[in-house]
Amino acid sequence: MPTAVPQQTELTAPPPVKGVSLGQDAWRRLRRNRTAMASLITLVIIGVLAFLTPLLPLAPPDRHHTDLQYEPPRLSPLVSKTFQLDWAAINRTSTQLDGVQDKNERRNILLRPYREAGFPDVGLVSRWMIRTRSHLFGEWTLGSLAGRDEFGRDVLSRVFWGARISIIVGIVATFVSLLIGVTYGAIAGFVGGWVDDAMMRFVDILYSVPFIFLVIFIITILGEEHTKARLEQMGIDRITIFYFVVGAIYWLTMARVVRGQVISLRTEPFIEAAHSIGVRRTRIIWRHILPNLLSVVIVYLTLTIPRVMLFEAFLSFLGLGVEPPDVSWGLLANEGIKVITPVKIYWWLIVFPSAALGITLYALNFLGDGLRDALDPKLAGRRNG
Amino acid sequence: MSWFIARRCLGLVLTLWCVFTVSFLLMRAVPGGPYSGERKLPPEIEENIKHRYKLDLPIYRQYLIELGNVAHGDFGLSMRLLDFNVNQVIGQGLPISAALGIFALSYALVLGLSAGIVSALYRGSWADWLLMSLATVGIAVPSFVIAGLAILLFVFAIPVFPAAGWGTLRQLVLPAMCLGTLYAAEIARITRTGMLDALSQDFVRTARAKGLSHLAVALRHALPSAMLPVVSFLGPAVAGILTGSVVIERIFAIPGLGWHFVQAALQRDYTLAMGLVLLYTLLLYVMNFLVDLSYGILDPRVELK
Amino acid sequence: MLMPGRVWFLIVMLAGGFAAVGYAIYGGRLPPADFTFVNETEVASIDPALITGQPEGRIVNALFEGLTRLRAEDTKAEPGTAEKWEISPDGRVYTFHLRKDARWSNGDPVTAHDFAYSIRRLIDPLTFSRYSYQAWYIENAKRYNLGSSTLQPGDAVEIELNPPAGATNTVRGEVLYGKLIRIDGPAIKEKANDEKETARERVFVVQIDGQEHRFQAADETQPVANGVERCRQVLLDFRQVGVRVIDDRTLEIRLTNPTPYFLELLGFYPFAPVHRGCVEKFGKPAWTLPQNIITNGAYRLVARRIRDRVRLRRNENYWDHDHVRLNVIDALSVDNRTTALNLYLTGMVDWVTVPPAEVLREFLKTKPPRNDLNPAPQLTTYFFLLNTTRPPLNDKRVRQALALALDREEITRVATGAGEIPALSLVPPSMPNYTQQPCRPFNPDAARKLLAEAGFPDGRGFPKLEILYNTDQAHQAIAELVRKQWQRELGITASLRNEEWGSFQDSQQQLNYLVARRAWVGDYLDPNTYLDMYVTNGENNNTGFSNRQYDKLIADAAKEPDQTKRRQLLESAERMLMDEMPIIPVYYYVSRNMVRPRVRGFFNNLQDTHPLHALWLDPNVDDRSPRPNEYMEPVK
Repeated sequence: MPTAVPQQTELTAPPPVKGVSLGQDAWRRLRRNRTAMASLITLVIIGVLAFLTPLLPLAPPDRHHTDLQYEPPRLSPLVSKTFQLDWAAINRTSTQLDGVQDKNERRNILLRPYREAGFPDVGLVSRWMIRTRSHLFGEWTLGSLAGRDEFGRDVLSRVFWGARISIIVGIVATFVSLLIGVTYGAIAGFVGGWVDDAMMRFVDILYSVPFIFLVIFIITILGEEHTKARLEQMGIDRITIFYFVVGAIYWLTMARVVRGQVISLRTEPFIEAAHSIGVRRTRIIWRHILPNLLSVVIVYLTLTIPRVMLFEAFLSFLGLGVEPPDVSWGLLANEGIKVITPVKIYWWLIVFPSAALGITLYALNFLGDGLRDALDPKLAGRRNG
Repeated sequence: MSWFIARRCLGLVLTLWCVFTVSFLLMRAVPGGPYSGERKLPPEIEENIKHRYKLDLPIYRQYLIELGNVAHGDFGLSMRLLDFNVNQVIGQGLPISAALGIFALSYALVLGLSAGIVSALYRGSWADWLLMSLATVGIAVPSFVIAGLAILLFVFAIPVFPAAGWGTLRQLVLPAMCLGTLYAAEIARITRTGMLDALSQDFVRTARAKGLSHLAVALRHALPSAMLPVVSFLGPAVAGILTGSVVIERIFAIPGLGWHFVQAALQRDYTLAMGLVLLYTLLLYVMNFLVDLSYGILDPRVELK
Repeated sequence: MLMPGRVWFLIVMLAGGFAAVGYAIYGGRLPPADFTFVNETEVASIDPALITGQPEGRIVNALFEGLTRLRAEDTKAEPGTAEKWEISPDGRVYTFHLRKDARWSNGDPVTAHDFAYSIRRLIDPLTFSRYSYQAWYIENAKRYNLGSSTLQPGDAVEIELNPPAGATNTVRGEVLYGKLIRIDGPAIKEKANDEKETARERVFVVQIDGQEHRFQAADETQPVANGVERCRQVLLDFRQVGVRVIDDRTLEIRLTNPTPYFLELLGFYPFAPVHRGCVEKFGKPAWTLPQNIITNGAYRLVARRIRDRVRLRRNENYWDHDHVRLNVIDALSVDNRTTALNLYLTGMVDWVTVPPAEVLREFLKTKPPRNDLNPAPQLTTYFFLLNTTRPPLNDKRVRQALALALDREEITRVATGAGEIPALSLVPPSMPNYTQQPCRPFNPDAARKLLAEAGFPDGRGFPKLEILYNTDQAHQAIAELVRKQWQRELGITASLRNEEWGSFQDSQQQLNYLVARRAWVGDYLDPNTYLDMYVTNGENNNTGFSNRQYDKLIADAAKEPDQTKRRQLLESAERMLMDEMPIIPVYYYVSRNMVRPRVRGFFNNLQDTHPLHALWLDPNVDDRSPRPNEYMEPVK
C-alpha cells in the first residue's frame, strides 16, 4: 500500500497556482479528515509490516506440524525457540554454485535452505531479511497466536505472508489498468469527434468480451504442462500472467468513466472560458481537466484495487489462484471456508484472513473517500464559501 | 436514433465475428485439447474418428464450416456433457441464471440506491458512516466467505432457508441475497458519490435557491444525474452478475450458466465454451447498448449518434 | 421524479424480468421425490457404452439391466435379464436364457438380438467407448474392436458402406461380407505428430461371392481411384466374434479364456443392452433424452436437468417391478462436498456419498456413535501414477525412492477422515482369495540411498516434480503432504497442479504429467481388475509402463484354468509391479457413505455399489432410531 499513496499524490501536483497549490490544499484537507487519516495510517502500517514480514519472528509459513492439526489460537507459549535456519547449508551454497550453469539448478541450490526452513521461494531481499531475522532473534518464534491450519501451519504467519502477495497483486494490476485507462479515456474524451467515436467503439467491442471467462481460459491454457514449463523457464509464473491479464481488463471501465467525465467537463463554463481566452489545449488538460478528473479516478481506483484482490480470491476459489507454497489472502480465506461446516467451525481459519483482507479494503475505501473530498475543488469552494 | 441502432447492430455482428474468430484460433492453438486425440488408438481408427468429426480437413475449411454452423445457431454437441448439444445446455441454464441475476440485481438496486441516497443526504452523519461501513463490508469480503457465513447463519443457526438446490422461490432467496450484496455495496457507493457530485452542481443549487425542499431537490434534480454512473455500472454489472454467480451457483448447487461457464473452460469443453462465449458477448453487447440508450434518456445533454 | 415515459420503460423492464424469474422457477417445477441422493458430479452421459465413472454407473444401472445384475448385498452376479445360464465344462461358452417377461419400457420384449446389437455397438471402433476393452474376453472381440489394424489377408471381413444420406448418425451403412485378399497402399506405422495421415488411403481388396472388390474408407464426396468403392470402415467379420444369437431368447457367448468373474462383468454397465430402434431412430445423443429413451431396467428416465438432477421413476414394465419399492428417485449433482453435506444435514437428501474428510473425523468421534455412518473396508485403492516415459521417473530407482519416502501414516492421519488404511499394495486386502504383495514401507534412509545411486545425491540436480490431481480438497491435501514429505526426506521440490475431472483424465491418457493421483474401484471381485491395467498400452495404464514379462504373466493368468496357479501368476505380477513401481499405493478406501436410518436395502459392500432397485424406505424409522439398517450392520 505505501507505494500507492505517494504516487497518487504526485498526480495531484500540478504546476503551482498562485497561493497554495491544489496538492498542498488537498493534503491540508485530507489531514483534517480523521477517518481518512486513520485509514492511511492503517494502510501504511499494513504495507510496512507486509514488506518486513521476513524480518519478523514468525513461524515460517510453509512449515508443517501435522500433529498440531487445527490447533486453536493460543497465547501460551507466547514465544518458543523453534526457528531453524541451516546456516551451514547457506554458507555452503556459494561453493556448491561453482560451476553450475543451469539456471534452475542454481536457483534450487540457493533456495534450498530456505525451503527446508519452511519458506516459499523468496527473492534476494527477502532472503537477506530472513538471515537478518535469524541474527536478530535467533531461534525465537512467536507462538500460534492465530491458530493452525490443516497441516499445522501457523495461520498468523500465513496471513502476514499472504499480505505480501495480495497487496502486490492489487497494486500492480490496478496500476497497469490505471495507466492504460486514464490515458485512453482522456484522449478520447478530449480529442472528440471521429477519434473519440472510433476509440469508444473499440472499447465497446472489448466490453462485450467475457473477460472473466477469458482469464480462466488463458490461465488454464498457460497452466497446461508443457506451456507452463516453458513459461517457468522464462521466469513467468501464474501471478505475473495474472497482473497483466487483469490489468488489461480493468482499464475499460476506467477509460469510459474518464472519457465521460472529460466530455462533461468540456461543456463546463470554466473550460469554455479558458478556451475563449486562448489557453492552449495541453495547458487546459493539465491544469483544469486532470485535477477535476482525479476525484472520479480515485474513486474508481479505490474500487478497483479491492476488485482485483477479490478477483484473485475468486480464482483461488476455482483453484486457479496463487500456487502453494505461496499464499494470498484469497487463498487463505478459501482454505478457511472449505473447512467451515455446521459440524465444526475452525473460525480462526476464516476470521483472520478475512479480517486482514477486509481491513485493508475497508481502509482503502475510506482513504479513497477522503481523498475524493480533499481533491474536489468544487466541494472545497462550497465549503469555504 | 435509428441510425444509432443500425450502427450498433452492425457493430454486434462485427463483434461476434471477432470474438468467434479469436476463440476459434485460441481453442485450436491449445496443446492437449480434445482435438489432439485423447487416447492411444490404432492409427486408422484415430483417422476414422477424426474424419467423422471433420478434423482431417484443413484448418480454414474447419473454420468456415464452423462459422457457417454458428451463424445458423448450431454450436454442436458439448464435449463433456455427452448427451446434450450446446443449445440444450444454454436453454436449460439461461433462465435459471437470468432468474438468479434479476433477483439479485433488483435486491442490489433497491438496497444500494436507498443506502446511497440516504448516505449522501446525511453526509457526515452517523447514518452515512454506518451505511458506508456496511457497504464496504460488501466490497471487502469475498463472496464465497459471505455465502459460507450466510449458510451457517440462515440455514443452520436460524433455519429459514434451504441449504441449496433449485426449484422453489425459497431456494432462490439466499443465493440471490448473497450475490446481490456485493453489487448493492458498489451501487451504494457509486450513488453516494454521484449524488454528492450532483448536489454540488449549479442547477441543483439553483433549484434549491428557488426554495424547493431538500428531499425534492435531491430526488427530482440530483437523482437523475446521479443515476448516470449507476447506470453505466449496471451494464458490466449485469454481465458480472451472470459470470460472477459462479461462486454462488457452486456453493448453492444452482444449475445456472455461471458454473457451466467455468466448467467448460476448465474441462476444455470447446464447443460449450464457444457457445457460452458468444452468448455472453451477445448479452454484454445488448446490455451496453441499453446502458447507452438509458444515458440518452436520463441525461438530455448526451446525444445518441 | 422521472418522466412518465421513463417510468414505463422501467416498469416494462421490471415486469419482463420478473416474468423471467417466474418462468424459470415455476416452468420446471417437479414434485418432490421419494428418495433423493447426492450423485456427486454431473453425469457425463447415460449411454452405457460411453461412460466410465461411478456417478454415471449409479444411474445407468438403474436404467438398464444386463444379462446378470449385481446383488445389493455383495455385488455377486444374480439372474438379471437372463433367468438362467449354462457354462460349458471348459468355462469358455456361456449360454444365456432370457426371461419371457423381460421387456423394454415401451413394452417390446428384450431379446438376444438386443444384446448382440449392444455388444457389437460397444466394440465398434467408431463408438469410441472407453470401456470396450472389458469385452475383449469375448472371442475375437479385441480384433473387431481394434479395426482393420488387426486384419490379415485371408480373414473374413465385413465392409460397412457409407450410410444412406439423411440417416441418423447411429445407423450403420449396409454391411457386406467377404474375404480379405490384401491391403494396398501406404504401410501403417507409428507416426510423428505432424506426419501426414495415410491410413485412410489404404485400399482393401476383398473377395465377395467370388468377385474381387476394392474398398477405401472415404466419404461420398471424396475422390477415390478408378474401380475403388467407398466405404465407412472395414472390420473383422462380426460373425467371427463370440456372440451368437441362437433364438430370440437364447444368447451364446464364447470367451477366449475361462474367465471366473465373467458373470459379474456382465452385470457391469458397459454390457447393458440398448434399444436398437430407439438408438437408430433418434441418433446420438438425442436418443438419451427423457422423451426418447427406452430402457429395460428397474427405472425409467423422467427428467434430466443439467448440473441439477436426474429424475427416475419406477418402470412398470420391468420384470421384477413388484420388488422395486421406490417410486421416484432424484439423483442430484452437487460438486461441492460441503454443500452436499449441508443438504444431508438439513434433511434434503437421504444419502451422501462423500462427506468432507474433517467432518467424517468429527463424526467418528461422537458418542454414542452415529447411526448413519459405518466405515468398512472397500475394494478401492488410492495411488499415485508415475510417468515412466520421462526422466527422471524412467529410472526404477527414482520411482522406488519416491515410494520409500512416502509417509502414508501421516497422510491417512491428516488428510483423510474415515480411518482409511495405509496401502503398500495395489490390490486391496479386502480382495477375496488373494494375498497382496506389498512394496517396501516408509524408509527415508533407503530412499535417499537409492536416489543417490540414481545420480541425485541429497536430491541435488533433481528436476522439479509436478503432482497432478483433480480439483478436490482431499486430493489437494494429500498432494500437499506428499510435496512436503519428498522435500523433507529427499530434498527435492515439487509443485501442485489441479485440473477438473475431464481435463485431468485427458492429461493422464496423454501422459501429460509427471506424478498424478488416481483411485481405482475394482470393477469385479478379482485381482485382475487391478493388475491388467498395467499391461503395455493398456487402456487404463496411463503410466507408459511396459514390461514384457509382466504382460506375459497377465496373459498366462488369463489362460490358466487352475485357480491356485492363476492366483500365483497374478501374485507374481503384483510383486513385479511393486518392485518396478510405476505406481505408488497410498491408502485403501473405507466406505464413507452417510445414509439415513430409514433407508433399507443399502449394504456396505466392497465395491461401494448400491443398486437403486434394492432400496426402500422404512416408514417406522426416523433419524434418531437406534435400530440399525443393513448399512450399519457389522461387515463380515
